[in-house]
Amino acid sequence: MFVAQTIKSEHKDLIHDVSFDYHGRRMATCSSDQTVKVWDFDEANGWQCTASWKTHTGSVWRVTWAHPEFGQVLATCSFDRTAAVWEELSSDSSVRGGRSTNTWLKRTSLVDSRTSVTDVRFAPKHLGLQLATCSADGVVRIYEAVDVMNLSNWQLQFEFNCNLSLSCLSWNTARMHPPMIAVGSDDPNQSAGGKVQIYEYNETSHKWQKVETIFMVTEPVHDVRFAPNLGRSYHLLAVASRDLTIFSLKNIRKEGANNSGGLSKFEIRQVGGFDDHESLVWRVSWNITGTILASSGDDGCVRLWKANYLDNWKCISVLKADSNASEAERAVIHAPSFSNTPTLGSVRYNNSYSNAS
Amino acid sequence: MATTSERESEIFCLPVLQQRHVGLSCVWGLGKQLHVYQTQTPPRIVAEKKHITDIPKVDNQEIFDVQWNAEMHDVSRKLVNETHNIFVMLQGQVKSLSDTTLYKQLRKASKQYRAVLKACSLELMQIADLCEDEAHKLKYEQYIQEFEMVQLIWSLCEIIFIDIHPGGLILTPLLDWLRWHFQEGKQKAMEVSQAEQPCSHAHYWESIYRLLLQGSVDNVRKLLALHIHSSSDPFTSVDELLSKMPQWTYQRAQSVAEYEMKWRHWREECIRRYEAGEFAAYTQLETIVQILCGDDAVFREMKDHCETWYHLLVSKLFYQNPTVRLTDLTFDIKPCQAVYSLPSENFPELDNILQAALEFDIHQVIKESCSFLSSRSWWFVSHLADVLHHCGQLDPQKLPFGSNLREYLLLEYATALMSHKSLWQVGVDYLDFCPVFGRAYLESYIEHIPLDSEGKAHKILHLCQERDFTAQAQSICKVMGMRCLQQERLGSALSWFLKSKDAIVIKQVTDRFLTEYCEQGKFSHLDLIDHLGPSMLITNSLTFLGKYREFHSLYNSGDISAASSLLLSLISSRLAPKTFWMTMLMDVLPLLELSQVVLDVQKTYEVMYCLEELQRDSTDNYKNLADSELDKLQCLRKALAKNLSRAIIEEGSVKLVS
Repeated sequence: MFVAQTIKSEHKDLIHDVSFDYHGRRMATCSSDQTVKVWDFDEANGWQCTASWKTHTGSVWRVTWAHPEFGQVLATCSFDRTAAVWEELSSDSSVRGGRSTNTWLKRTSLVDSRTSVTDVRFAPKHLGLQLATCSADGVVRIYEAVDVMNLSNWQLQFEFNCNLSLSCLSWNTARMHPPMIAVGSDDPNQSAGGKVQIYEYNETSHKWQKVETIFMVTEPVHDVRFAPNLGRSYHLLAVASRDLTIFSLKNIRKEGANNSGGLSKFEIRQVGGFDDHESLVWRVSWNITGTILASSGDDGCVRLWKANYLDNWKCISVLKADSNASEAERAVIHAPSFSNTPTLGSVRYNNSYSNAS
Repeated sequence: MATTSERESEIFCLPVLQQRHVGLSCVWGLGKQLHVYQTQTPPRIVAEKKHITDIPKVDNQEIFDVQWNAEMHDVSRKLVNETHNIFVMLQGQVKSLSDTTLYKQLRKASKQYRAVLKACSLELMQIADLCEDEAHKLKYEQYIQEFEMVQLIWSLCEIIFIDIHPGGLILTPLLDWLRWHFQEGKQKAMEVSQAEQPCSHAHYWESIYRLLLQGSVDNVRKLLALHIHSSSDPFTSVDELLSKMPQWTYQRAQSVAEYEMKWRHWREECIRRYEAGEFAAYTQLETIVQILCGDDAVFREMKDHCETWYHLLVSKLFYQNPTVRLTDLTFDIKPCQAVYSLPSENFPELDNILQAALEFDIHQVIKESCSFLSSRSWWFVSHLADVLHHCGQLDPQKLPFGSNLREYLLLEYATALMSHKSLWQVGVDYLDFCPVFGRAYLESYIEHIPLDSEGKAHKILHLCQERDFTAQAQSICKVMGMRCLQQERLGSALSWFLKSKDAIVIKQVTDRFLTEYCEQGKFSHLDLIDHLGPSMLITNSLTFLGKYREFHSLYNSGDISAASSLLLSLISSRLAPKTFWMTMLMDVLPLLELSQVVLDVQKTYEVMYCLEELQRDSTDNYKNLADSELDKLQCLRKALAKNLSRAIIEEGSVKLVS
């Protein structure tokens, strides 16, 4: 492993989310400073910020890209109770890389939620241009662009209440399966039952219906993510909670029964469970083949997990802050007490860090 | 020093300080790429609920673009490309050849793979020699070391699992293996023989021992002949023993039993002469004969000359039990390892892999190699497993992930290639040979490959067409079309969208074309519109665009009657968007002003009806019409009325005649 480039984010507050486009050549970042920045990669200049604009009137929790078939489109969600869809105006590729600022227009503001919108995700491309949001009051909303060429018109197609404060949602991207969403709840009340619920769209009743609750997870959930399914006969779902858990979901209803109106029935099996992050796991992210999972947690590390050919999941890499870094080392010398007195120490640390760098 | 457990999960440090409430988080890029950034822990969303407020402010926050496996340096690129050819050819042969001929090809392929490895390794050594930068040099040396280990394992596996000689002796190829990979003895012997007085050279005896331990009897005799006392009795006696040592040949002339008997007789003679004290004058000669006798103690003394337990194992067995069977090797592994109190300090994994191979446990070899060597490259395990699979040495059964071991490893290798900016094309071929998951992987990768240029997009499109990936091909065309559209390149956008055959997006572009025409009075991209062919029928608006352009060409070429009837049919078909009606109606005007009547009564009514509909239409189209346009409409109305009268007269006169 090596650092190919260090990108100065220039966000005025800590970053909440980073998201790549489908081709891995564009990146969007969002932060509590209420802005979103878009970065473009080219071989000559590496990553360059090509747009930065204020998106919301509260912390921006998540940012996500639509499939490029629909153009250059982003969705964001925020503490300000809204989600928004953004489209980039015509961009001249020749100007890219030279610090040009591209214009992103707000195409719509989705204002149906009465509480903080905690996650926003575009549906897999084969379902058209759909967008799902979930909010702290437990409601999942699914919007659809009425005309894919005119993104200012979104219709709220479905709305269902999960009766638990929601923190995250994930679409299953498998083409062979009916539309499916997993949601996670960060409700601290353990007696409220399973914190991960699975919903499926029923073709005959035209409704989203709950198909499963994963009762094995009763601790607050901070992230759920379906693995991309490249021909596997089962689905993999990663859950970030007190531990990192990986579930396999196998549809035990016969193939083809999906169209006959019945909902899927899953055999849910835990294929991996890890407490390496010492206490809580915050985020999970799959690679594009769904074979390596990255997780981040309270220990401040990023861990990579992979299954060997016997399907045993193991930690293969740990990325962590290096207290031996030269600059950091100097900082530690200047602020020897920072670990004992966090507030004071971190201020001192910051001073010396900026001096050193 | 890394221990085994540490190596299993690699630790990578980023140059940021660990702070309370600030942790790392990450997102996957394409392939083996992560973007790691500092973020609040717990996330703000949670922290606010828990009223955690002492969040340190992090200025100059950085995002780290962390990559791995991307270090495909020039030499390993050569390895990838050249072995790719061997691989593809072998897969073809697997399909077409019968068992026996295939087996021959598999052995050949294994040797070819090793030859490429060796060539790359040599090239790396040259590069490392010329390299002046210390850090780079160190990196190259690491690669060389890994290449050497891979060769060591591969050639051992070839002897044990691939190039098997039924009824043959396992030790003969194993000695070759030693000679090939432990060249210290040979090099020292060279040095010694070039010295002025070889026998007083510091390495004289050491090189003799080393060669003897590898069974290179001829070279040992040559060196002994260089001794100043070589004509003395003890020397001639040793020489005689060495020359009489029975040689195993691959020719069918002798059976194993015969060879064994000869060996026993020869060894008895060695022991006899040793016990008679023929060599007492020279301790070194005594050591040599002790080796020949297969004396246990002397091999322990030789441990430094053998360097490793596996060298010792082969050397010892050669003199103690030259006809040992592969299955019996197992018993001697432990004692040999015990001679070396510590496992080779650098690579205990290598020891484990070789041990597993010698214990005939191929799955263990692969498993250990996966966790040890694959961290940098899956090249080795995937190719070895492929050959072994076709040799029937691997368990063909389905593993929990859904396919067999060969496919698992090939998928890993292909995955590493797919994330490389040019080697992905090689990766595609490997995925093609993964029967269960290859297609799904490839489909997914194709959707994610950056479409940097039109050329690359066409290349990938071609790849999709070859494999019948309709959905992916369509998607690529749409993505490219959207990009062109965003850059206002309407012509390219249309041609990409036409390939995607998606009516909605095509309509969007054709509408833009028509708007452009309304504004500027001319079409760009005429050649594209003129050659639409059957794709014109994909959507109404495109049909209209094509037909409308046809009207222009007819009109320009002077074929007024054809032009006018086409225009009329366009007007009456209502194919055009309402915004365009105005333009079409204005096109009628010049037709009305011609000296002969072009529009008959029926057609004139048709146009008038359209005009009326437009004016009565309460949509914005009409309301927003400028005064000048209203004037034009007025003009048209008059012209139509005039034409109607002319047409009635003309038609009426015709009636009169009939």
